[in-house]
Amino acid sequence: MIRKLFLSFIAISLAALAGTTPAFAEIGRVKSTQGAVQIIRDGKAFTPTPGFKIEASDVVQTGKTGRVSMAFVDNSRFAVGPNSRISVDSFDYDRTRQTGSFVTRVERGSMAVVSGQIAKSKKDAMQVRTPSSLLGVRGTRFIVNVP
Amino acid sequence: MTARSMVGRLCVHPIAMTVLATALAGCAGPSLVLLDDEHGGNGAVAVLETNGSAGETVVATSNTRTRLGRANPVSRPLGDGGLKDDEQALVESLPPEALRFIIYFIEGTTRPAPGSENVIEAVRGYLPFRPGAEIQVTGHTDTVGSDDDNDRLSQKRAMSVATALVEQGFDPEMLSAVGRGERELIVPTGDNVANADNRRVEIIVR
Repeated sequence: MIRKLFLSFIAISLAALAGTTPAFAEIGRVKSTQGAVQIIRDGKAFTPTPGFKIEASDVVQTGKTGRVSMAFVDNSRFAVGPNSRISVDSFDYDRTRQTGSFVTRVERGSMAVVSGQIAKSKKDAMQVRTPSSLLGVRGTRFIVNVP
Repeated sequence: MTARSMVGRLCVHPIAMTVLATALAGCAGPSLVLLDDEHGGNGAVAVLETNGSAGETVVATSNTRTRLGRANPVSRPLGDGGLKDDEQALVESLPPEALRFIIYFIEGTTRPAPGSENVIEAVRGYLPFRPGAEIQVTGHTDTVGSDDDNDRLSQKRAMSVATALVEQGFDPEMLSAVGRGERELIVPTGDNVANADNRRVEIIVR
């Protein structure tokens, strides 16, 4: 009986695993934080801990000693330094075909990037904006500083 | 003394701390630092637009710094000093690369091939080293059968492994299942070729 109940619980949980429904809003997760870090979503501020789910159009903000690292579902990885404000302007990823587009804006501060599947899927499918410049990411590891 | 060398001197001259801080701030404009790809290979980043003007300057030499915000960006080697301390700290705080575990399957089925018994325990063993882990279970097939059938079979394989993970105590919140059909062969083959290496599920731990 317990096993039956457990299995039906699993069936419900697994329905959410397929990842093909539009409700699949998660684009990545926070892996580590240090100092003051906020994720701003629809005007609300969250204090993330490891495992926090990131969604498209989230804004990541760090304080004077703040740091945060994140990994995205296309295998891209970010590390954000102190005094930074970074926004995920768009993230669109087809997990079956491993194609999509990813635009991030570094408004201020610093960010290290390792690009993933989206950057590989098409030339300049991954872009990083700074107040002055637009960068096309062709792979793979770099730092953007906006002091 | 020209204005240029004046600026150069101010940046290194140890006057009062406040003056130094101001001078340093003046030196550090926006920049792009291109690194190698973690495996020693070269990457590239293109500057596609500066202050609203389109252009294409491709930075393709690792360990260089490119000032941003000016037309015709120029890249310079990082030199012996390498990265600045804060940049080094930033790179060190990047999450590690995703781990990949593979379970192989018997042809045309969702039954794991012999030898896959310990994979789930191996995944579990790595979880403590991956705070905030997220696991993508990706199914693959060989090229036997139609594309549509293989999309379905690969999804079923992924779901069967995801189910096994949940049954063995993995948090469903951590998991997702994706079927890639025959799009990503480990061993390239023609169509309708049975291949044991290609019939697999990859457990990607990020």
